[in-house]
Amino acid sequence: MLEDVHLTLASPAGPVNILSGVSLAVEPGETVAIIGPSGSGKSSLLMVMAGLERASKGHVRVAGEDLGGLDEDSLARLRRRHIGIVFQAFHLIPTMTALENAAMPLELAGHRDAFARAADGLAAVGLKERLAHYPAQLSGGEQQRVAIARAFVAGPDLLLADEPTGNLDPATGRLVIDCLFAEQARHGTTLILVTHDPTLAERCAREIHLYGGQIAADRRAASPEAGARRAR
Amino acid sequence: MSATPPFVRLRLTFTLARRELRGGIAGFRVLLFCLFLGVGSIAAIGSLDRAAEDGIKADAKALLGGDVEARLLYRPAGAAEARFLAASGRSSRVVTLRAMARRGDGKAAALIELKAVDAAYPLYGGVALSPKGPLAAALARSPHPNPPPSAGEGREGQRGLYGAAVEGAVLDRLGLKLGDTVAIGEATFVLRAIIEREPDQSFGGLIFGPSVIISEKALAATGLIAPGALVAYKYRLRLPPGAAAAAWVSRARALFPEAGWQIKTADNAAPALRRLFARVALYLRLVGLSALLVGGVGIGNAVASHVAQKTPTIAILKCLGAENRLVLAAYLLQILTLALAALAAALVFGALLPWVALPFLDPLLPLPLAPAFFPGPLAEAALLGILATLAFALWPLAGIGRVPAAALFRDTVDPARRQVPIWAIGMTALAALGLAALLVLGTGDRRVALYFVAGLATAFVLFTAAGRLVVGAARRLPRPRHPALRLAIANLCRPGAPTVGVVVSLGIGLSVLIAIALVEGNIARAVEERLPKEAPAFFFIDIQPDQLAGFEGIVRGIPGARFREVPMLRGRITRLNGVPADRAKVAPSARWALDSDRGLTYAARLPRGSTLAAGKWWPPDYRGPPLVSFAADLARGMGLKVGDTLSVNLLGREITARIANLRHIDWARLGINFVLVFAPGTLEAAPQTHLAAVYLPPAAEGRLVREVSGHFPNVSAIGVREALAAVGRVLATIGIAVRLAALVTVASGTLVLGGAVAAGHRRRVYDAVVLKVLGATRGAVARAFLFEQAILGLLVAAVASLFGTLAGYVVVTRLMRAEWVFLPASLAAAAAFATLLGLGFGFVGTWAALGAKPAPYLRNG
Repeated sequence: MLEDVHLTLASPAGPVNILSGVSLAVEPGETVAIIGPSGSGKSSLLMVMAGLERASKGHVRVAGEDLGGLDEDSLARLRRRHIGIVFQAFHLIPTMTALENAAMPLELAGHRDAFARAADGLAAVGLKERLAHYPAQLSGGEQQRVAIARAFVAGPDLLLADEPTGNLDPATGRLVIDCLFAEQARHGTTLILVTHDPTLAERCAREIHLYGGQIAADRRAASPEAGARRAR
Repeated sequence: MSATPPFVRLRLTFTLARRELRGGIAGFRVLLFCLFLGVGSIAAIGSLDRAAEDGIKADAKALLGGDVEARLLYRPAGAAEARFLAASGRSSRVVTLRAMARRGDGKAAALIELKAVDAAYPLYGGVALSPKGPLAAALARSPHPNPPPSAGEGREGQRGLYGAAVEGAVLDRLGLKLGDTVAIGEATFVLRAIIEREPDQSFGGLIFGPSVIISEKALAATGLIAPGALVAYKYRLRLPPGAAAAAWVSRARALFPEAGWQIKTADNAAPALRRLFARVALYLRLVGLSALLVGGVGIGNAVASHVAQKTPTIAILKCLGAENRLVLAAYLLQILTLALAALAAALVFGALLPWVALPFLDPLLPLPLAPAFFPGPLAEAALLGILATLAFALWPLAGIGRVPAAALFRDTVDPARRQVPIWAIGMTALAALGLAALLVLGTGDRRVALYFVAGLATAFVLFTAAGRLVVGAARRLPRPRHPALRLAIANLCRPGAPTVGVVVSLGIGLSVLIAIALVEGNIARAVEERLPKEAPAFFFIDIQPDQLAGFEGIVRGIPGARFREVPMLRGRITRLNGVPADRAKVAPSARWALDSDRGLTYAARLPRGSTLAAGKWWPPDYRGPPLVSFAADLARGMGLKVGDTLSVNLLGREITARIANLRHIDWARLGINFVLVFAPGTLEAAPQTHLAAVYLPPAAEGRLVREVSGHFPNVSAIGVREALAAVGRVLATIGIAVRLAALVTVASGTLVLGGAVAAGHRRRVYDAVVLKVLGATRGAVARAFLFEQAILGLLVAAVASLFGTLAGYVVVTRLMRAEWVFLPASLAAAAAFATLLGLGFGFVGTWAALGAKPAPYLRNG
């Protein structure tokens, strides 16, 4: 839930307005695509929602918590419980195996069964045979699937994906996206996806067009099921 | 939001640290080596120091010759004193004096330390002879099978000759072998055995002549015991079991307050030796500490570059919900684990060194080493290493807190830096203070340690400022048109450039190197260059007053020879302003003057080589209450000023004199000079001998010694050249140790530099690739990199030259109290060496960068 969110960042050339008055409410389990040209503020909006960037003005509420009132470590703990993130560049930790990478959020939360649950998560994205591999030993598509497993492993309420297929070829990208939506459906997670790709955006129940840091259009498919069907 | 439970966080910290260690230790090689070198050298020096101390302690009774020793100068113990000594336990009397040993044909003579021993000698330890056999047998009188014509004059010839055991050097110097005869004083001895080990060998013997042991009875036959002759009577005691040495000392002092004997107990054996070794160990320790702190900069650089390299991982962990302090703790644990591994290796090295070094050091050192496992110095070295790691690693580690998780959404990490957090500043300051405190408290000489800490702190501030200045200047300077120069200057000030770290580490390393080069140069110069021009060739001691005219005749008969003579007595300073010397508060630098007896003289006029520092010189015809002139630096160390009193024990009589004036004495001229010079009217009647310094051309030296020893067998000649050569040998041994330690510092500095070059390697390769793609020739790229190195190298060399010279000056003038000579050649050599080293490293790094294939660096991902 975003209310009149503004984001202004300092730059060598002076302050730059990234987001100017974005208000947005997303329902639990909803799938939302954020599209728009480069520099429109898509990624920044995602960062504000993840608590990685603080809104200069306005309120951001995730899972009933106002992010503005939390310090950095509280934000980290909030992400651990409620938010999963998938990046364009995968961002796996190179010194950890696929299993360790996927288990990390559970380990951070102190779960004793972190590895068993991470192994299930990796099996769900088709990587049962790759548990002991390091990121450097995996293909790009496999790395992104590990990242997806990691993002879903703690059962987050909200999943944020930033151009998840941006670094992949179209065929692999489709595979990864199928995997992402399957996991989303399995967990009933709210999904917010930033993309340039209109066909990918069409798989979501809702499309938000961002221009110049403002919402230019907010379209919903007739029903989530329709959105899901449209995607297939 | 609830925080992670502590035990979960602890487990996670270990898990994360362990997984991160899988990344390898390539980036930490510099950290590991710097810590190993610094801690290893400190641990090794500390262990060696303790091994020497323990060695002296273990052999203390043998070194001293007994549980206690009462030493009387000029006279044997009186009847009452002798009775007391005999009743105190098992006793032994050893009489020592300097004398000349002459070959039977009179063609060679050598200064020796003559030692006459009784049947009880030695009370502790044993004398080892070659060929093997009891000492008594070697010294006994036996009929000479084939007496040479020059020997055997008088009664001794008929009754056979006494034997002597000698150090090998005596045979070498006189060109004799075992079985030959040698004349000492008026007696002739058969050389029966070579001394392999002498438990109570005096340290002075290293410099002033090898030992010759004869029996006490034989001493009387030499005729060397004349009034005023410099003879020491040493009474050693083996106390009954359970008797405390200290109690005996108090009783002896109480019963014979006027005896004037110098009493030593075994726990204070060989003080001069211990002092010398402690001094060298201190010097080495400071050099080792510089290595550790220079290496500390390398540690800091390694941690900073590790944090920079790990930015994505840190950001991922934060994105996944890891708190700042968890990530920080994990990386700190990782670094401490590596540091502990390096420390462990360093401690093993330090602990083993005394054993490994024993066979090499034993022949060089005049003291016994007792290698053992010494936890004290090792623990201290480890603690210093950990504190240094924390002091240098915490600041860059705090950078973890500044890595924003949002970095993952951008191409590069936001360079906008926030302030270094308060906790990092506080912890770093705490670690640095702990380091300084441990350093000062753990060093015997606090004053030196404080100088060192102050010097290092200054160096850090100075070189950090110099580094910042370079970065600031590079930023503000207008960009030159020359592209290579422009790139070089841009490289110095680009974000994340290691410029300041390199300037600090290289600067301190080079300063230490320059300071050591200058200090060593000054010592070497003092010994080699300065002396021969002004120094006399010989000192002759024990000239009896009635021999003076004859002695003068011999010297005048040699063309080009001239001499100065003064009356000489020896006495011990017993009281300072009435306070017994052993209870007076005296600076360590002045303690030596109270440890044993000093030569003293009397003079009507200010001696040559002295300048008046305070007070007035007495009128030449002074005849009044005793006045004395004292050395100014010793007076300062003893807290004495003009008008205070000094008491001196001379032949069992205590003379108290008022200090009339203080003198600066130029010892380096090696002329005749005394710490104590009395006014006329006090000492004239005391038994005394004359000391003569003879200046003459080297060619005539042999003739002079032959004639003097031929005419006056009791007069000993101390060859200045020989003594200096012996001092030179001792200094050379010390010099090797100091140079080795200096090498460690330079190695650390080099490692830091190498580490900085390696850390910049990827950036350098990328720059080189991009420049090549844009059409720059390899020459142009190489020039740009070399310009960068040259600018840094020259700046560091300039500042380090100034600071290193200042440090050398302080060491020479303040700590060694010697005259300072600036040595531009030594300075230039050290500076050029380091600059070339830096350029060399830069060149190797650049060469590797230039050879890189462009394609892999231009692809994304």
